[in-house]
Amino acid sequence: MGKIIGIDLGTTNSEVAVIEAGKPTIIKSAEGQPYFPSVVAFTKDGEMLVGETAKRQAVTNPEGTVHRIKRKMGRGEKVKASGKSYSPEQISAFILQKIKKDAEDFLGEKISDAVITVPAYFNDDQRQATKDAGKIAGLNVKRIINEPTAASLAYGLDKKGDHKIAVYDFGGGTFDITLMEVGEGVFEVLSTNGDTQLGGSDMDQALVDYLAGEFKKKHDVDLKKDPKSLQRLSEAAENAKIELSSTLQTDINLPYITVVDNEPKHLELKFTRAKFEELIAPFVDKTEKPSEQALKDAKLKKSDIDHVVLVGGTTRIPLVKKKVEEIFGKVPKRDVDPMECVAIGAAVQAGVLSGDIDQDIVLLDVTPLTLSIETLGGVATALIERNTTVPTKKARIFSTAADSQSSVEINVLQGERPMAADNKSLGRFHLDGILPAPRGIPQIEVGFDIDVDGIINVSAKDLGTAKEQSIRITGSTKLSDEEITRMKKVAEEHAEEDKKRKEKVEIRNNGDALAHSAQKTLDELKDKISDDDKKNIDGALKELRGALAGDDVDKIKEKTDKLSEALQKASTAIYQQAAQQAAQQQQAAGTQTDKKSDDSWAGHPSDEDKTIDADYKVKDDDKKKSDDKKK
Amino acid sequence: MSTKKSTGKKRETTVKKTDSLKKEMVKLKQELKEKEDKLLRSYADLHNYQKRMEKELQIKEEETKKKYISELLNLSELLKKAYADKSPKDGLKHILNNIDNFFEKEQIKSIDCVGEKFDHNLHHAVTTIEKDDCKDEIIVEEVKKGYMINGKLLRPSQVIVAKKKENE
Repeated sequence: MGKIIGIDLGTTNSEVAVIEAGKPTIIKSAEGQPYFPSVVAFTKDGEMLVGETAKRQAVTNPEGTVHRIKRKMGRGEKVKASGKSYSPEQISAFILQKIKKDAEDFLGEKISDAVITVPAYFNDDQRQATKDAGKIAGLNVKRIINEPTAASLAYGLDKKGDHKIAVYDFGGGTFDITLMEVGEGVFEVLSTNGDTQLGGSDMDQALVDYLAGEFKKKHDVDLKKDPKSLQRLSEAAENAKIELSSTLQTDINLPYITVVDNEPKHLELKFTRAKFEELIAPFVDKTEKPSEQALKDAKLKKSDIDHVVLVGGTTRIPLVKKKVEEIFGKVPKRDVDPMECVAIGAAVQAGVLSGDIDQDIVLLDVTPLTLSIETLGGVATALIERNTTVPTKKARIFSTAADSQSSVEINVLQGERPMAADNKSLGRFHLDGILPAPRGIPQIEVGFDIDVDGIINVSAKDLGTAKEQSIRITGSTKLSDEEITRMKKVAEEHAEEDKKRKEKVEIRNNGDALAHSAQKTLDELKDKISDDDKKNIDGALKELRGALAGDDVDKIKEKTDKLSEALQKASTAIYQQAAQQAAQQQQAAGTQTDKKSDDSWAGHPSDEDKTIDADYKVKDDDKKKSDDKKK
Repeated sequence: MSTKKSTGKKRETTVKKTDSLKKEMVKLKQELKEKEDKLLRSYADLHNYQKRMEKELQIKEEETKKKYISELLNLSELLKKAYADKSPKDGLKHILNNIDNFFEKEQIKSIDCVGEKFDHNLHHAVTTIEKDDCKDEIIVEEVKKGYMINGKLLRPSQVIVAKKKENE
C-alpha cells in the first residue's frame, strides 16, 4: 500500500505531512515553504496559479483571485473568478491538487490517498464537500477528521486513557476552542466555540498602528501612507512579535524609513514586552468568553480538563499561553509546533490507516539515561547514549592502564554525570587472565546489548585470548519517571563543576600517557635521538613525573606541554635525518615511529580533540577522545 | 495379523511424522523469534540513525550559521571603522565592493524589475497604482529588492504595479 498523506486544509494556509520511517514529516511546497497559501488565481493569460504564486499576484488581479474558500464549503454558493463560476469544492480541489503534486515530488512516489482535517463545527454538508474536493483532486479521502482531534493525535493523547481535552486554536484570522472527551482512542466533541473575526493579524495591525503613531508624534509623517515604509513597518512589527516571545525587550531600527524635506528619517524605538502585551491584551482577552461558554456548554468546570493543546502560530506568544493557563488552570502542551500539529496529527491518522505506524513498533523503548563504564581516573565513558532506541548493541575496544596488568574491572554505570562515582552502578565484574603485556597493547572488547525488554548484557572479551566474561542487568530502563528527572536535574546542576573535574582527570591522564610514551620513545629510539634532545626529553619527563606526583593540575598541563614540545623537536630531527637517508631506511624509520605513539607524535598539543592515547585505548573509527581505564 | 502389523507400522510412521513436525515447529518458532528480534533491531537502528542524522543536521546548520555570522562580523568591524572615519565615502565604496564580491561568490543576483511586466514567479505585488500613461501590469516602483540564488528565487521583489484607469 502506498503512502497516505495528512492534510490540514486551512482557511489561509494549508499544511501537509506524511509518516516516514515511523515519524511524521512536514512536506515542503515546491516554493520551499512548509505551508501552502490557500489561494487560487486565474490570470488574464488563462493560467491557473495556486499557493505562493497566486498570493504574490493577488492585489494585481483581485477579480481573478480566490481567498478563504474554506468559509464557503458546503453552502451551495458558487464563486466567480475571471468571469467564470466555480464551486468551492472545485477551488479547494485546485489547492489539494497542488498539495498532491508537491507531495509526490517530495516523496518521489504517486500519492492517491489522504486524510483531510476539518473544523469540529463543520456539518455533514461541509464534510461531504471537503471529501468531494479531494475526489475532484484525484485523492481518495480515506478519512475526514476534526482538526482538534488531529492536534490531540499529534500529542499522542489517544493513548493516555480516558480524559478531557481542550484544544485552543488561535490562528492568523480565526479563534476556535473545542472541548473533547477521549476514551479508548475515540474522540467525542463535547462543545465548540470561537470567533471567526479574531486572529493574529489583528495584533499585527495594532503593532503597526502603534509604531506608525510613535513615528508620527516625533516627525509628523504618517508612514502608513507610503507603501514602501508600510511594508518595512509591517515586517518590523512581525519580527518584533517573534522576538518578544522570547525576550523582554527589542530595538526596532529602521534606517532611511522615509524622507522629509529632503532629509532622511530613521525609525528608532525601544519596544518592551510590557508595551507589546498592553497592545495585544484586548485581542487575547477576547478568547476568554468563547472558552468559558464552551466549558458551560459541555457542562464542565475548568478543573475537569486534563490536557490543553495549543494550535496556531498566535499561541506562541507568552501572553496567550498565560491566558490559556488562566482559563483552564493547566499548563498547556507545546512541544509540537502549533502551526504544524494538525497536519502532523492527520499524518499520524494516515499512518495508522496505511500501517506505516505499527503500534508495536512505535512503542519501542528508549534508554532513559546514558550507559557507560568506568575508565581510568574514575571517568564514565559512555557506550550507549541517553535516548537511544532499543533493542541495540554497541561495542568498543579498550586496553589496560598498566604494564603487565592481568585483570580489568568493568563497572557498568547509568547516568549523565561525567565522573563514574556520581552515577548509579548497575553492576561490576572482572575479566581475568589477560596475558602480561605493556599497557595499551591488550585489546578488550566491551559490548553492551540491550534487548527489547530493556535487559542489558554486558560482555568483556580479551581479543588476544578469546576469554570472555559477562553480566546480565535487568530492570535498567524501568526507572520511575521521577528518578530519571531527578538524575537529569542533578546532572544539569553539576554540569559546570563536573566538566572541570573531568578536565582535571583528562589532563592527568594525558600527562601520564605522554610520560609513558616518552619513556618508550627514549628506549626505542635512543640511537637516533641526539644527546641534546635526549637531555631535554629526560629533563621534561622528570619534571612531568614530579608534577604527576602532586595535585597541581596546571603544573601537570604545563609540564605535559613542555615534554610534548621536546618530543616534537626530537621527532622533527629524526624525520629530517631519515629524509636524507635511503628510501628503505626512511621507511623503516617511519614504521618505527608509527602506531604506538601516534597521538603523542601527532604534534597537536593544543588540539583538545586529539588527547593523547594511552592506557585504555579505543580503536573506534570515530576515535574522539581516548578512553582510559585503570586496573 | 498382517493388518495388525500394518496398523503398527502406520502408527510408527505417524509418530515419526509427528516427531519431525514437532521438531520442525520448534525450529520455525526459534527462527521466527530470531527474525522478530532482527526486525526490531533494524527498526531501532533506523530510529537511532534518524536521531544521529538530526544531530548532524543541527551541527551542519550551526556551522553554516557560523560562517555567515563571521562574514557579518567582518562587515560590522569595517562599518565601525567607516563610521569613525571623517570622510568615509571611499572606505564605504570598498566595503560595498566586498559585499558584492561575497554575493557574487554565493551566486546571488538582484532582480531588476522596474519597467518590467509583473511576473508572479519573481515579483510580489504589494499594491497597485492607477495610471493613464502606463501599460497595465507594468512595475512602476520597487518596494524591496528581490534576489536569486543559483538561478533560483531567494526572495521575490516587492513591487507596486500599474493599473490602467478604467474608463467610465
